[in-house]
Amino acid sequence: MWTHYPELLRRPVPRYTSYPTAADFDESVGEDQFRAALDEVAPGTPVSLYVHIPFCEEICWYCGCNTARSNRRSRLEAYLDALHEEIAMVAEHLGGRGQVARIAFGGGSPNAIEPLDFVRLLGDIMVAFHAENPLLSIEIDPRHVSAGWLNVLRAARVRYASMGVQSFDPKVQAAIGRVQPWHHIESLTGSLREAGVQSLNFDLMYGLPHQDRAVLMETLERTIDLSPDRVALFGYAHVPHLIARQRRIDASALPDEKERFEMAEMGHDYLVAHGYQPVGFDHFARPGDPLAIAAQEHRLHRNFQGFTDDSAGHLIGLGASAISQFPGLYAQNAKNAGVYRTAVAAGRFPVERGIVRSAASRRCGALISDILCHGDGALPDDLSPAQTERLEEFEQRGLIRIDAGRIRLDPDALPYARTIAAIFDPLMVHKIGGFSAPV
Amino acid sequence: MDHCATCYVRNRAICSALEVDEVTALGRIGRHHRLVPGQTLIWEGEDSMLVANVIDGVLKLSTSLSDGREQIVGVVYPSDFIGRPFGTRVQHNVTALTDAHVCTFSSSDFERFAREHPELEHKLLERTLGELDRTRRWLLLLGRMTASEKLANFLLDMSERLTPGGSCGNSPADGFDLPFGRQQIADILGLTIETVSRRLNDFKAQKIIAVPSRRRIEILDRTALSDIAANATL
Repeated sequence: MWTHYPELLRRPVPRYTSYPTAADFDESVGEDQFRAALDEVAPGTPVSLYVHIPFCEEICWYCGCNTARSNRRSRLEAYLDALHEEIAMVAEHLGGRGQVARIAFGGGSPNAIEPLDFVRLLGDIMVAFHAENPLLSIEIDPRHVSAGWLNVLRAARVRYASMGVQSFDPKVQAAIGRVQPWHHIESLTGSLREAGVQSLNFDLMYGLPHQDRAVLMETLERTIDLSPDRVALFGYAHVPHLIARQRRIDASALPDEKERFEMAEMGHDYLVAHGYQPVGFDHFARPGDPLAIAAQEHRLHRNFQGFTDDSAGHLIGLGASAISQFPGLYAQNAKNAGVYRTAVAAGRFPVERGIVRSAASRRCGALISDILCHGDGALPDDLSPAQTERLEEFEQRGLIRIDAGRIRLDPDALPYARTIAAIFDPLMVHKIGGFSAPV
Repeated sequence: MDHCATCYVRNRAICSALEVDEVTALGRIGRHHRLVPGQTLIWEGEDSMLVANVIDGVLKLSTSLSDGREQIVGVVYPSDFIGRPFGTRVQHNVTALTDAHVCTFSSSDFERFAREHPELEHKLLERTLGELDRTRRWLLLLGRMTASEKLANFLLDMSERLTPGGSCGNSPADGFDLPFGRQQIADILGLTIETVSRRLNDFKAQKIIAVPSRRRIEILDRTALSDIAANATL
């Protein structure tokens, strides 16, 4: 059973989909560093690709992603042209070095583009990077999956799919601007299975307006009925001063911190009781799913898509705002689609921000990742008095054990995992705001 | 003149989605071109002005690398569709490997027609998915296969695609004329001409194929050839 210690959760902390986080990126990294990182890729190195489609047919009010309405065909075409150009540029620079084994399409909603455009995009990526049989994954907006798209998912052999479900409750759906009846999700789940999707993920949220434990419970029950292979249960972060579209959400209808904590715990317990294995601090997977197996075998990793079984140390992000991860560098493309297109049109890699990963920074990152992925890590031998003091707060409450130079999280410390990880983040010291509550 | 009524590939090409009178209407906006070996129909990187049906002959799709080398990314046969309607970029050079006969449309004409005939648009998506499959096989062929596997796949492909004109949806031809010489086969498959000749001789010695003349191939043991090819399939 989880115990609520509000005093430990007071400080907002990063989600650590990378370390250093994107909030620490600055303009000291540009296309030169990106090019140098590509130059260092040795032949045969496993490389994963992430392709960002920053469009949605409708914009949901809660969403903090880099997206725009896909309502103008010309804007979409211009973006896709730039994306094709960027793919050709990156692939040409790699010149056959690197073996692309995985391609993930995210957004936004990749299915906001035409199925025909997607097939061409995929074909061009495969040819450009000599990727004859990549493992394909895609994020899907369930409200807009045409018959043509299902056909494409089948023929293109897309194996991993993730759907934004968030909540099945009609009142909650209306309050976040995302109406998608349960029956629709039910029939789409069947269609995706028929189309050959082997691992299907549902994104769910707690902490939404008009949501309490009873409302969340009903969504969980209906989720179990559809038996997705994976579930991610995220806490909604209400930061309208950072994300303007969230101003449409009625803040007075949001549950308080205590209720959020209890919802997170209830979700965790319910999913575990129904056969799901916890993966990291907010993912769950059926025991036979590759993600669950990776967690069992200590092969779990953290990247911009969350927890993953992808072990490639090189991730190349393509498209506006996409982030590339190299052993020694994080590099983020221009977020603004116009700036992105202009850079690509001029023959430049559209990298705008990033950070160099020093050896010390990589060590911090590895420990933070170990804590989040496995609840276990080797302590550095130069802990500061402040760090020791912070660790004691968790140790005294039985949330961690420190033994033989290792830190181990109690299974009931999951809601504190990010906060514990942040103790080892030297960049946290001078940070104020901008992050979300840990639960 | 109504080319379409007598077209060899009308039952297999993208226009097979259409009714007879619709084919005639589409035919009216098409133009016929004959290409000689080495002639390029579409250049990489230019705005996509042209789409085409292959009626006869074999063409290669290629891209130019910055060091001047050429990378062949696919081979198209009769009844295949070339070009990208509803897209603004052409990614490949399209160049005839043999004498070829194509039926071309301006992209905008074709797009307008397809919008009025959803079954054609649907067929276009199907075709594009078919190309994706071909792309997979092509990449596998170039990247992973041994010389024997490459050659076996290529011979099977040709026997399926170079069926005698006028027929539709029929079984693969056991005998066909090679559309090009040993050197070109070597170039397409990324092999040397010596290797191509040696492997063809091996297949001959194993009674898998007969080679009655320089240009003629007869498949004697399709199962054996498929087994060799299948060693490397996905």
